[in-house]
Amino acid sequence: MTPLGFFEIVGFGERGWGPALLLATGVTLAVAVCGFLVGSVLGALAAAAKLSGLRLAAAIGDFYTTVLRGIPDLLVIYLFYFGGSLALTNIGRMLGYDGFLGLPVFVTGALAIGVVNGAYQAEVFRGAYLSLSKGELEAARSVGMSRFLMFRRIVVPQVMRYAIPGLGNVWQLALKESALISVIGLVELLRQAQIGAGSTRQPFYFFLAAAILYLALTTISTIAFQKAENRAMRGVRRAG
Amino acid sequence: MDLAFMGRTFLTLIEGVPLLLELAGLSLSIGAVFALLLATMRLSGVGVLDWTAQSYIFVFRGTPLLVQIFLIYYGLGQFRPALQEVGLWWFFREPFYCAVFALTLNTAAYAAEIFRGGLLSVPHGQIEAAKACGMSRLQRFRRITLPIAVRQALPAYGNEIILMVKATSLASVITLMEVTGLAHRLIAQSFRAVEVFVVAGAIYLFINFAVTRAILVIEWRLSPHLRQAPEGEAPMKPAPAHARGA
Amino acid sequence: MTDVAVSVRNLRKSFGALEVLKGVSLEAREGDVISILGASGSGKSTMLRCINMLEIPDDGEVTIGGETIGLERTRRGMRPADGRQVDRIRSEVAMVFQSFNLWSHMTILENVVEAPIHVQKRPRQEALDEGMALLEKVGIADKAKHYPSHLSGGQQQRAAIARALAMRPRVMLFDEPTSALDPELVGEVLRVMRSLAEEGRTMLVVTHEMGFARDVSNRVMYLHQGVVECEGEPQAMFANPESERFRQFISSHR
Repeated sequence: MTPLGFFEIVGFGERGWGPALLLATGVTLAVAVCGFLVGSVLGALAAAAKLSGLRLAAAIGDFYTTVLRGIPDLLVIYLFYFGGSLALTNIGRMLGYDGFLGLPVFVTGALAIGVVNGAYQAEVFRGAYLSLSKGELEAARSVGMSRFLMFRRIVVPQVMRYAIPGLGNVWQLALKESALISVIGLVELLRQAQIGAGSTRQPFYFFLAAAILYLALTTISTIAFQKAENRAMRGVRRAG
Repeated sequence: MDLAFMGRTFLTLIEGVPLLLELAGLSLSIGAVFALLLATMRLSGVGVLDWTAQSYIFVFRGTPLLVQIFLIYYGLGQFRPALQEVGLWWFFREPFYCAVFALTLNTAAYAAEIFRGGLLSVPHGQIEAAKACGMSRLQRFRRITLPIAVRQALPAYGNEIILMVKATSLASVITLMEVTGLAHRLIAQSFRAVEVFVVAGAIYLFINFAVTRAILVIEWRLSPHLRQAPEGEAPMKPAPAHARGA
Repeated sequence: MTDVAVSVRNLRKSFGALEVLKGVSLEAREGDVISILGASGSGKSTMLRCINMLEIPDDGEVTIGGETIGLERTRRGMRPADGRQVDRIRSEVAMVFQSFNLWSHMTILENVVEAPIHVQKRPRQEALDEGMALLEKVGIADKAKHYPSHLSGGQQQRAAIARALAMRPRVMLFDEPTSALDPELVGEVLRVMRSLAEEGRTMLVVTHEMGFARDVSNRVMYLHQGVVECEGEPQAMFANPESERFRQFISSHR
């Protein structure tokens, strides 16, 4: 077999890996989105805990964000990969099933990304909440809004608007972290590139193609978040 | 939890720390020099230089570090004959060099933006005062701009150091047995993911805690102008806000 | 003529479409104290900043102590022909800024001795001794080890004057030195400036302080929209303004 050129490899011809790489890009996007959403839930909870004023809750929130931002993502992925299947197998044994049970790598990956991402999102949400003006909240109280109504109508929309730039950065982290899920065998973009590299012996072209596709994802994300920010910031005058 | 096992785990994992520190230390120091160059290019006002630096930063911040590592370590293998010819193969054959190389290129892109922010934060008037007393371009940079920029950029750069400490873990994917690599092997052998994770995590947290403290100390030492006046004496009357230096 | 300290001839400067200086000339002899007055936007600060090349004039000539600063025309406008000449001349022309511009990372004494040691390469101890003497002179010797942020605005400006004096300048430029100060701090800075004038130093002062212009300077120049509207001896000009605009200007700045 003659070695393929770069454009044949990434192309959609008979020997081209284009479709496979595109599909894998979809998997990357999917696992990153799922991780990001898990992170949003955890992040909102952790931010609420930190802001709650309850000493124990705040301490737990602090512990979570400090630890998860201080240890390598890869370590967390290993914990979920090995620890998760171990826990499942043990649960299975208790229920009378003796074989090995594993979580699907997609789920493991999304959870691992989510747990790390949540720690960063918590900081974003907390910062956004703290930048709410006290006056707006007082105004809400003065027109007789209940706590819940005020939270839903005033706090959440405002926090979301202030949080958009920070969330954009954290989303990029999720996207880039998803490449690490390749080490536990999820066939996302980087893993697909490795497979292609192995079978054609042209690793540079495959990793280059992967890099370009990641760059496309991060670039589109940047633009999308910028648009969202511009929309959300209508009616807010920028400082300076 | 099995404390004896965790003790043994600790002794195993701690052996990965020198490699971790080597990877982080080397790439951070070479990367910082490179980053300063990139930041200067960004601020040079010369279109081509600015554009080149900007594209570099865009690419390296927009792609995962692991892809960069693979591109350098596995990818360049595709060009082995050519690299052998120009006498570079000894470098790209070694996982350690490749890891340092990739980490260096990566941190340079992030640090360049941090340095740029620091340089931009230097009050224009203080540079003008330096010009007005006849300092040359180089003197102005060395004596005024750089010291002020370093103080400004320090907290963000401290963050970058921590990110790099964490990033060294990716070297384990190309066979380098630093802390995460050793932890992975231990988990695979013992199937005691939680214990190994706790010990490995504690090692990283300790290192990052030490980094954070060190940065705080340096920040404090470099910022005498933000501390109390000597002899505990308060200023007579603070300057109006718009006129205060820095 | 060796006793001409600064000579500015036909200075022009535009920022974009806005022509700020439309051909301004000025001559200061050794020992002259010239107050430059004018409404904001009249070009007075720009003229001062052209003298030490903080702004590069589009046209015209600046001569300091008989040496003309060489300028060359490029496609992107004028620029100094020889950067080292500019640096050398700047070290003979000291400037005091409206916003002090003390270096925030250095103590007051370090600010004062920075240029003597690193630009003029004078012996360290000599520079330190002279620096302390200058701080004594402006009345803040006790603040030598403090950082600028520890000082009041008036003290900072006096430190900036000491920093300028430390370069043993041929000419001193003051760019609205009291405009950023609270009213009660203006006096201490003006007192220092007055004592410098009495020593016979050559000073060009852009200011809004009519008292200083009238009583301390030996010449007053009034700029309006980038041209010299009128100039002359302060007593005569203030007592009997020949220009209607200048008359209005002084009556609104009383």
